[in-house]
Amino acid sequence: MAQRHEITSHVKLHRRQVHDMTQQELADRVGVTRQTILSIERGRYNPSVGLALRIAEVFGVPVEDLFEIPGENRDD
Amino acid sequence: MTEQKLLGIRPSTAGLVAGGIVVIGVLLWMFVNKGLLIVAGAGVFGPGILREFGWLNDQDEFQRQAARRAGYHAWLVGGTAAVLILSMLQSGKQGAEVSIEWIGLILALMWLTWMFSALLTYWGARRTTSVVLLTFGSFWLLFVVATIISEVGEYSLGTNLLGVLASITIVGPFFVGAWAVHRWPRVTGAVLVVIASLFTWQFGPWGKDDWSTQLLTLTLLALPLFACGIALLRNVGSEES
Repeated sequence: MAQRHEITSHVKLHRRQVHDMTQQELADRVGVTRQTILSIERGRYNPSVGLALRIAEVFGVPVEDLFEIPGENRDD
Repeated sequence: MTEQKLLGIRPSTAGLVAGGIVVIGVLLWMFVNKGLLIVAGAGVFGPGILREFGWLNDQDEFQRQAARRAGYHAWLVGGTAAVLILSMLQSGKQGAEVSIEWIGLILALMWLTWMFSALLTYWGARRTTSVVLLTFGSFWLLFVVATIISEVGEYSLGTNLLGVLASITIVGPFFVGAWAVHRWPRVTGAVLVVIASLFTWQFGPWGKDDWSTQLLTLTLLALPLFACGIALLRNVGSEES
């Protein structure tokens, strides 16, 4: 059964709305399967720090823009 | 991708080779020599051993995490089953000897637990169920076709055609279920639980002296359907591409 984590992913938003990229394209860029990208976007899988940084690098944004803990004050 | 459209999955080269070795091993075990089960074992455990030695690097981090988590689940289920069976056998109620069926039962439980845990974590309930039903249906189809071919000379054409029709009746529901799971996952889940319960009622060890064969049959027939059904009923909300 899939683990549920308290982390919200904004990967899908950046991938589709900002970069107009398919899941497969992003997967190829960061060296994982499309299913892994799908699971990250659905919140079913929390990527490692390394993978999160690679995704952030592809989008050209800080990793904090892609993942957040719900309810956390990010301005602190 | 062609492979993705075929089954909604894109198996790795290592996965395909391992699957082929398992199928060949099972066929050799069934028709040539029981000792050749070792070939199927090489297909099941070989890729994992190669990955642990670092000689095969075909998985990403999510696949590795799913496989390792599944390994822990398989350890818990296989270990618990082994202790229960050993205790039962030593109590003298189920005969004093450890038979091949009991060992097969523990292996089957371990393998099925590993497979389901890994697939459910990685794919989610719907896709896992779909692939399991297609696999079940394909194996039944192969078995039935092989049986019909082997009996071609023994019966009339009409009898053989009747055999083909009967096989469609047996195999058809698996393929229908593989399709229906994407449209009506909860209904399909409930149907699978009912079918698994019927299997258990029909093939269970009720009133038998030696439970090993019945429990092995149940593990191979009912457990996959029951696991898929429960996973669909529990997890359908937040998954699938």
